[in-house]
Amino acid sequence: MPDSIGYTIWFLGAILEVSVVVCALAKDAFRRYLCLNLYMLFSFLLSAGRFYVLAQFGLRSSQYKYFYYYSDAVLTIFLYLALITLYLHVFDEMKVEKYVRLTAVLLLAGTALFSYGVVQQSQNKMLTGFVYELSQNLYFVGLVLTYILWGTILKLRESRTQLIQLVLSLGAYFSAFAATFALQNMFPHLEFFTYILPVFGCLLPLAWAYAFLRLSPDARMATARLAVVQR
Amino acid sequence: MSRKLTSSLFLAMLVLAGAMSLKTVVAAQNNGAVMMANGSAPVPPPNGRNGSAPVPPPNAWNGSAPVPPPNAR
Repeated sequence: MPDSIGYTIWFLGAILEVSVVVCALAKDAFRRYLCLNLYMLFSFLLSAGRFYVLAQFGLRSSQYKYFYYYSDAVLTIFLYLALITLYLHVFDEMKVEKYVRLTAVLLLAGTALFSYGVVQQSQNKMLTGFVYELSQNLYFVGLVLTYILWGTILKLRESRTQLIQLVLSLGAYFSAFAATFALQNMFPHLEFFTYILPVFGCLLPLAWAYAFLRLSPDARMATARLAVVQR
Repeated sequence: MSRKLTSSLFLAMLVLAGAMSLKTVVAAQNNGAVMMANGSAPVPPPNGRNGSAPVPPPNAWNGSAPVPPPNAR
């Protein structure tokens, strides 16, 4: 079972997740970023569900493992949809929503097919393996998509502060998890990672709650002028 | 197939290939650690992780004889 620090971080994360939805509702941004808010809402509800299953069956129980991994796959799909929503916001003036949605569906289908191809050799627990593999692969797809989106924001000189804050925090979140995952593989016996991963889980809702609470949807950043160097 | 559908498919496959390459690089020394990135709930421990003793290597590497294929019976 997690210790008191683990429970505190988990509780704090759940509070921050629901505070994102509350801030979005208070600032009338719930519908504008519907998938982001649904992701946070589901994340909060599933945190409560995970706590219930953990309290009933324990950390090492099969019930908790199944509930954790299946709920994580659902949340990863929601996070993917939230990321596609951010793409739609960035490209909203270019009238290419249809193609963004088409590419997103094709990418999701391709990731699912790839994940199926990886686990099709296993005879038992194939659905569980598929869910786990899909969640991991979709996570890396989200990581790449976030960097592409950030490059697009720079290229299109997007200046909406709230949108930039949402995308940047998502990019930092994905990058932190990928870096921690790589370090965890290199140094598997460090106990440090037990707490650092849940802390990262708190930082994303904190950044999003700040974006909804403090930044106006119409606020714009002053873009830097390009320095032209004469050669 | 229309040109825009083809380009959408090409983009999707390009992103997928990039993501899987990144996954391969990040998980190059994978020792069974899982990466679950949603929420701050404690990750369930993987099977066979009792205690902190070093995990033995997966293959018995005694000597330099070639390892038989796994399905050779």
